[in-house]
Amino acid sequence: MTMSGTKVSGTKAIIERCQSLFDDLHFTAAREWKTAKSGRKVIGYMPIYVPREIIHAADMLPLGVLGGGDQLEVIHGDAYYQSYICRIPRSTIELGVSGRLDFVDGMMFPSICDVIRNLSGMWKMMFPDVYVRYFDVPQNYADDIGGSYYVGELAELRDDLGKLRGSPITDDELRNSIEVYNENRKMVGELYDFRAKTPWQAPAAEAYLVLRAGMVLPVEEHTALIADYLAAAKAEKRPMRDNCRIVLTSVFCEQPPLNLIKSLELAGCYVVDDDLLLVTRWLTEDVPTDGDPIQNLADAFLHHSESTAAKYEPNQAEKGQYLVRAVKRTGAEGVIFAAPSFCDPALLDRPMLQNVLSEANIPYIAFKYAENSGQMQPIREQAGTFADSIKLWSAA
Amino acid sequence: MTIAAGVDVGTGAVKAAVFEVENGETKWLGRSLLRIRQRDPMQLAGEAYDQALEEAGLGRDDVHYVATTGEGEAIPFHTGHFYSMTTHARGAIHLQPKAGAVLDCGALHGRAILVDDRGKVLTYKMTSQCASGSGQFLENIARYLGIAQDEIGSLSQQSDDPEVVSSICAVLAETDVINMVSRGISTPNILKGIHLSMASRLTRLLKSIGAKECVVMLTGGLALDTGLAAAIAEELDKMKGMDATVKTHPDTIYAGAIGAALWGAFRYDKLADLGQLPRAS
Repeated sequence: MTMSGTKVSGTKAIIERCQSLFDDLHFTAAREWKTAKSGRKVIGYMPIYVPREIIHAADMLPLGVLGGGDQLEVIHGDAYYQSYICRIPRSTIELGVSGRLDFVDGMMFPSICDVIRNLSGMWKMMFPDVYVRYFDVPQNYADDIGGSYYVGELAELRDDLGKLRGSPITDDELRNSIEVYNENRKMVGELYDFRAKTPWQAPAAEAYLVLRAGMVLPVEEHTALIADYLAAAKAEKRPMRDNCRIVLTSVFCEQPPLNLIKSLELAGCYVVDDDLLLVTRWLTEDVPTDGDPIQNLADAFLHHSESTAAKYEPNQAEKGQYLVRAVKRTGAEGVIFAAPSFCDPALLDRPMLQNVLSEANIPYIAFKYAENSGQMQPIREQAGTFADSIKLWSAA
Repeated sequence: MTIAAGVDVGTGAVKAAVFEVENGETKWLGRSLLRIRQRDPMQLAGEAYDQALEEAGLGRDDVHYVATTGEGEAIPFHTGHFYSMTTHARGAIHLQPKAGAVLDCGALHGRAILVDDRGKVLTYKMTSQCASGSGQFLENIARYLGIAQDEIGSLSQQSDDPEVVSSICAVLAETDVINMVSRGISTPNILKGIHLSMASRLTRLLKSIGAKECVVMLTGGLALDTGLAAAIAEELDKMKGMDATVKTHPDTIYAGAIGAALWGAFRYDKLADLGQLPRAS
């Protein structure tokens, strides 16, 4: 595979490349993509879900903006928020005011919580020359109510991006982009299946870095990157540890530090499923490439998206069942709730999800983190004792 | 018959133990203890493991399960890893089958663990992040006072009027000690004061986990400090409603490695029963 003109092969080289993309808070890869051809535009988006197909159809680069992680010192960002607000909006503002996002032509703020919604308004005031959109999604999944509303939202976004480009987005462009993202989702699914089956061959931190690269790379390059990683990971023989298998959940918005993910595995937990970077697999089935592409995208969201804590679930009987299904599908032995501090969507749902797991006799633990958490000892202790209790005392 | 090894990478030393387990009967076949002394703990872990195997008359291929504990998660040859509290609890029960609680007195923290007769952890509490109840703190004080670590216990027991030391903060406690030296307080009285201060924190932990009428087994690097053991016994005597006996064992420094090996054997047999032995490959 060629990335930036360099042949990269073997998991070590691929992961080093992904790590450098992860570490780069100036988004050099996206800047280089933009300057490589005149007229290119970059649209940033925050977690959890935006229809990247529409951005791609406008010949623009969707850029995942996931906060500043544990390497960014937040100086200005703290002035905008109270102390009881999570860290991702602060570090995102820091990225903005420090000029790290000065090449971004638009920013999309998905409907995940009040804080991110309000950040869209703040962004408009702070960066008046940037296209800003609060991207709302339906909480009613009936075709004639939430469906027609969502079709309108998608159509509006399509019109906006067409105007930003200078020419309308055609149906064929959308269909092509849907196909490209179907391929990407398929490859992401293969990566998750491979890890669930042989977690020692694809450590959680590596799988995350490979997935995370898709936040800054063009989707076609990312699909090839996953394929190369899978081929390399399958070819390498790595020792299988007697670890327990867990599903990691509540990590869908503010990202856990990479060391947290590594610490879980060191503590004896193989991560066999998670809700990290949900934008890469929000839609659970291929989106049809024939017919009305906007309608197809809307239908996929309404009827083929996973009901995680990041999505409103009107049916109480369905609440939390995605976790039970994930445990059964992957052969997991427990669930770890790792929620960002002050994360309303994760923490408000947690008791309900834990009740569902208790009823299904699935063990779980819970803790909180911030994207810049540095002290992993308490997490290692919790995860380590959890792993021990499963390995020594569980029935299976 | 299951052969299992435990490798405990601690702050100050690496310990390895090799066990044979058959029908619940355990036989300790080999052991090794290597002080780290600024060497690479991962390399020492391999050396300690091989030394213990040599004593047992075995090779690496003879071992069914290699369990690490402590800071040993990254050791390349391990089958599985157990958290240090889990292994100390099991090791304590092996060394003292009547133990109902374990006080793990390590270099960086203290931990009280309530256990059942299988060595299963029922509940636990740790000291906070301050180092004033830790072995590292005691090592520093010994250095300031110019005495060897193995002299601490006997000197402490010669005390006739122990001087109170801060139990809240290591920095304050060290300042206290400097003041005591300048005031001419004797070394035994300083050490006993420190031991009582540490014992006070550790026994409060024991009380907080509900240990009342039981045998308390000391493990960790400080378990063989006779002065600390005596101070813990004194503090327990002072506590209302507490009827606990403090015990230690000459092999207590191996508690983590013993526990890792025995849990490794337990886990291996469980995987065999479940038909999942490849997980212990």
